[in-house]
Amino acid sequence: MLKTLLALVVLLPAAGAIVAGLLRPRATRAVAVTTSFAVAVLAVAAAWLGYPGGYRASIGGMAWLGPERGRDLFGLLLDPLSTIVLIVVTVIGFLTVLYSTKYVREQNRDHAVGPEDQGRYYFWLLAFLAAMAGVATAPNFLQLFVFWELTTVCSWALISFNRSEKSLKAGFKAILMTHAGGLFFLVALLVLFARTGSFGFDAIGQLEPALRGWVYVFLLIAASAKAAQVPFHTWLPDAMEAPTPISAYLHAAAMVKAGVYLMLRAVGAGGGVPHGVGILLAALALTTILVALSFYFVQDDLKRLLAYSTIAHLGYIMLGAALGALGSTVGLQGGALHVLTHGFSKATLFLCVGAVAYVTGSRSISALGGVARVMPLTATAYFVGVLSVTGIPPFACFWSKLMIVAGALQVPGALGVTIMVLVLRESLIAFGWMLHVGQRVFFGAQTELARAHRDPPLAMSAVLVLLMIGCLVVPLFGIPLVRLIGG
Amino acid sequence: MTTVVLLQYAVGALLLGALASLATARSRRLSGWISVGFVAVAALLLWVVVLRAFSASPDPPRALAHIPAVGAALIVHVDALSAVFLAIIAVISLLTTLYSVHYMDRFAHDTLAKYYPVLLVLFAGIIGVVVTADFLFFLVFWELMTLASFFLVVFERENRAAQRAGLKYFVVNQAAALGMLAAAVVLWRSAGSFDFEAMRAALGQLLATSPLRAHLLLALLFIGFATKAGVLPMGSWLPDAYPAAPSGATAAFGGTMTKLGIYGLLRVFLHLLPLSGATTIWGGIIAVAGLGSLFVGTLTALQQDDTKRLMSFHVIGQVGYMFLAVGMGLLLLQTSPALGALALLAGVFHMVNHSLYKSCLFLGAGALEYRAGTRSLAALGGGLGAAMAGTATCALLAALAIAGVPPLNGFASKWLIYATGILGARSMSLLAVAVVVAMFISLVTLASFVKYLGGSFLGAPAAARPVREVPWPMLAPQVILAGACVGFGLLPMLPLRYLYRGIIGLPSAAGLPALTELLGSGPNLALTDAGVITAAWGPLPLALGLVLLAALCYWGLQRGGEAEVRDVPVWVCGEEEELGAVRYPPGSFYRPFKEAFHGVYPTLHGQLPAFPPPLRRALDPDHWLYYPIARASEQAARGVSRTHTGVLQVYLLWIILGAIAVLSIILLFGGGGT
Repeated sequence: MLKTLLALVVLLPAAGAIVAGLLRPRATRAVAVTTSFAVAVLAVAAAWLGYPGGYRASIGGMAWLGPERGRDLFGLLLDPLSTIVLIVVTVIGFLTVLYSTKYVREQNRDHAVGPEDQGRYYFWLLAFLAAMAGVATAPNFLQLFVFWELTTVCSWALISFNRSEKSLKAGFKAILMTHAGGLFFLVALLVLFARTGSFGFDAIGQLEPALRGWVYVFLLIAASAKAAQVPFHTWLPDAMEAPTPISAYLHAAAMVKAGVYLMLRAVGAGGGVPHGVGILLAALALTTILVALSFYFVQDDLKRLLAYSTIAHLGYIMLGAALGALGSTVGLQGGALHVLTHGFSKATLFLCVGAVAYVTGSRSISALGGVARVMPLTATAYFVGVLSVTGIPPFACFWSKLMIVAGALQVPGALGVTIMVLVLRESLIAFGWMLHVGQRVFFGAQTELARAHRDPPLAMSAVLVLLMIGCLVVPLFGIPLVRLIGG
Repeated sequence: MTTVVLLQYAVGALLLGALASLATARSRRLSGWISVGFVAVAALLLWVVVLRAFSASPDPPRALAHIPAVGAALIVHVDALSAVFLAIIAVISLLTTLYSVHYMDRFAHDTLAKYYPVLLVLFAGIIGVVVTADFLFFLVFWELMTLASFFLVVFERENRAAQRAGLKYFVVNQAAALGMLAAAVVLWRSAGSFDFEAMRAALGQLLATSPLRAHLLLALLFIGFATKAGVLPMGSWLPDAYPAAPSGATAAFGGTMTKLGIYGLLRVFLHLLPLSGATTIWGGIIAVAGLGSLFVGTLTALQQDDTKRLMSFHVIGQVGYMFLAVGMGLLLLQTSPALGALALLAGVFHMVNHSLYKSCLFLGAGALEYRAGTRSLAALGGGLGAAMAGTATCALLAALAIAGVPPLNGFASKWLIYATGILGARSMSLLAVAVVVAMFISLVTLASFVKYLGGSFLGAPAAARPVREVPWPMLAPQVILAGACVGFGLLPMLPLRYLYRGIIGLPSAAGLPALTELLGSGPNLALTDAGVITAAWGPLPLALGLVLLAALCYWGLQRGGEAEVRDVPVWVCGEEEELGAVRYPPGSFYRPFKEAFHGVYPTLHGQLPAFPPPLRRALDPDHWLYYPIARASEQAARGVSRTHTGVLQVYLLWIILGAIAVLSIILLFGGGGT
């Protein structure tokens, strides 16, 4: 039962992608919405059935690798951590598709998309959904790697969707950087297999400590590239050339989460991360958080601002993984919870900016003003998103940040306190700046751009409302889920 | 129904009211009345909760929701102190909402969807703060309150000053809240829970093992509460933010939200902190902070022209009195418990009184703004008292109360502060200085409100200004509050009895003497020391005397002496003068004073340091790493492509050269094996 459900979660969007790619625009949209909705329902059902125990099923292997080694190479996995990722991927995936049905149209003032490009858009979007569901349900590093690279390809196609000079360049940059990181993943994978004869997540614990450290470092490089962590953080702001729903989904909620998921997975596998690697991970995460913060103040494009904020928040999740590596279970759980809470909060923010751009045709902070008077719903969603993403209770990210901060204090010595102080400072400054930007864009005197428009069409507004509700309620089921991680 | 259920219904009513007023926001009055209805239901339920809490068998704490991942639980516990605050919240929330129904007509251009729902959520947040016995949820509700009040401060979207004030308010308070969160998490590490009782134990242990760290935590908590209460220098956001909100909301802030700083202070220093040397130390710090705040805040109030800003500075000043009293209480609690208890009681009583008169004053300023369209004393021009007699009377009573004129409630609480300070000075002589400063500042308060009353209500009515009294939903709240000011002034023992139960319900204040031992059992306040009355205050006899005196003046002098009342134009030196020319404008009041204390409230203009450009480049590896690599690869590729000339001979040459190279490598390195 669960096996069928999980297999469908991966296969259904793949099939939907092919069908959607072939049909006329109207039918394409219908297929895309139906498929993604079905996938979201199936994923939630699977999460419900799979709770609380972990589920693992084998599908097949490669006999030529040997009777023992080649067995069970492919299969399906559903444990609390993958449930978190699966929920983010499928639910936000559905909301993104629904939002896109109105956004990716000729009426879009930011960039119009004609009927001839609709098939291409939904093909890649659904293909990405399938690939990402595959990442979430992969039972070992090998299968994870296969789907990981598939998400990279989909990301490249979607960033370059406009086929403008700039977007082609951005897509190329993204695929180069993430794929170069992916090669380190491959090396780590081969070392693991050569030494232990297994691709399993827990095989990492069988390595001798020195080699294990190197495998972790290689995985860290791959994850950093995928999740746009320092020093590989430069591709993500450029990737904002993608249509906004894509930025919301791939580059905030889902794809970049594959990187941090790898790290959470590797740390949570219980192999015993060498202390030095834990420190390195924490240092890189903190550096990322602060470097990303320093870029907030010079952005005029709302989407680029959100991109840097995303980098910082992926840093938070990395920090959670680092805390897990340093021995704090609460920190690891907080990191996992942040995958969920940040996914919903940042999707809200991106889709708000998309709505503003759709209606006014501008994403410039300095050119917009007084938008709230004509777009009250969008304004509300923005502020909910900001309050959520910067960790103001009772919104979602507060709970995950709280767990990360609490986890930091479980780390003995001055390190924990330092992490806590830095995290709280970043939270405060980011909060102040995002609030200030919100005031500039949505309050104040109305500028020419903001005149006589109204909230976006129903499908887009409904998605914003659903995401706002999500910003409040996701911790309710997220916290019980993450509590099972690393128990 | 138990307390928890009642509270759930009350909060439910508020949230439901928020939704209902949101749904009806288009019809403005209806939305307001619906809000009033839901708030009234909530207020009624809260009063039942209050009565239960003061009954013989109050309900025990109950946990509503658990978060085992971090060891937190939503523990609902209404002890006597919480009940005191719930009573204030119930009254003030209902009155301010009722007031808003008509007052919000001022903002015809703005939708009410951003007022009533937010206001009701604010009330829900405030209730949450005072009923939870778990520090994490305390902070959650605390922040909910901050965030709701932020949206009320920035209500006027087009007003740049309001936007700036809102940003400052939220960021400063968020900084303070994060500090408190850090303190809470540090305590959580050793306590394993956010429960007040567990944290009390953990804090006691921490004080014994590493006192420095414990004091650091207390400092963070103190700063958190002082910021919210508006104690300087952390409270400098307050005079900007309070006036920016609509007056109904400002009155709610002044009547309830500021007070939660005092609530937090009592919770932390008398509940979380076991009675120890730290209590005395922090008592001293709190008292000094209060003293500084009342001095600077009130003197700055003297210089204001904007009515609501003037009153906001008085919030700072009055909170200073409360901090001074609470600080004195903590300071004296261990050396002379009776005086300590009295000082704490004075602080809490002053807080209740302040809720009443400050809300009334803010509502009065709003009424002036509603009818005259301005908050500037200079622009108001005086003379509105005749047309707005009800508002003027209420404002007069509230102003006299805040200035501590007997027999009103402000005097009763200030008298308690002075009396305990003077008696305490026998063991700690510095307290005498504090009392002298507090008395002097009381005078400044009076002066400042004389200016307010003179500038707005007194004087001859300006001609041709169609000003009427405000409608009854705006007047009634003021009348009720002013009446309460008089009532609490005449019968101070009535509230004091309950307030004292609120204080001795706290773990660190459990062993204090009974109230009758402190103040006697009669309606008058009588401080006794070893059976001898050392100080006494009888409001009823004094009030009776005042009434008799007034009657004597009126009947005896005016009527009996048949003095004639004449209506004549203003004249100076035998010449008639224009009204404006001889009027003493509010801006000219107390000029020497203002000049002398001009710099007492420093205004800072900080400039953020610019981000150094070299560092900015260093943080962007695109420019020094990735793009150069990409360019180099591209150039290398182009170099390779240059070898493709399309000439057959050249390709053959490459093949031959390659073969030579391969052969030489094999011969040189592979030869040894064979």
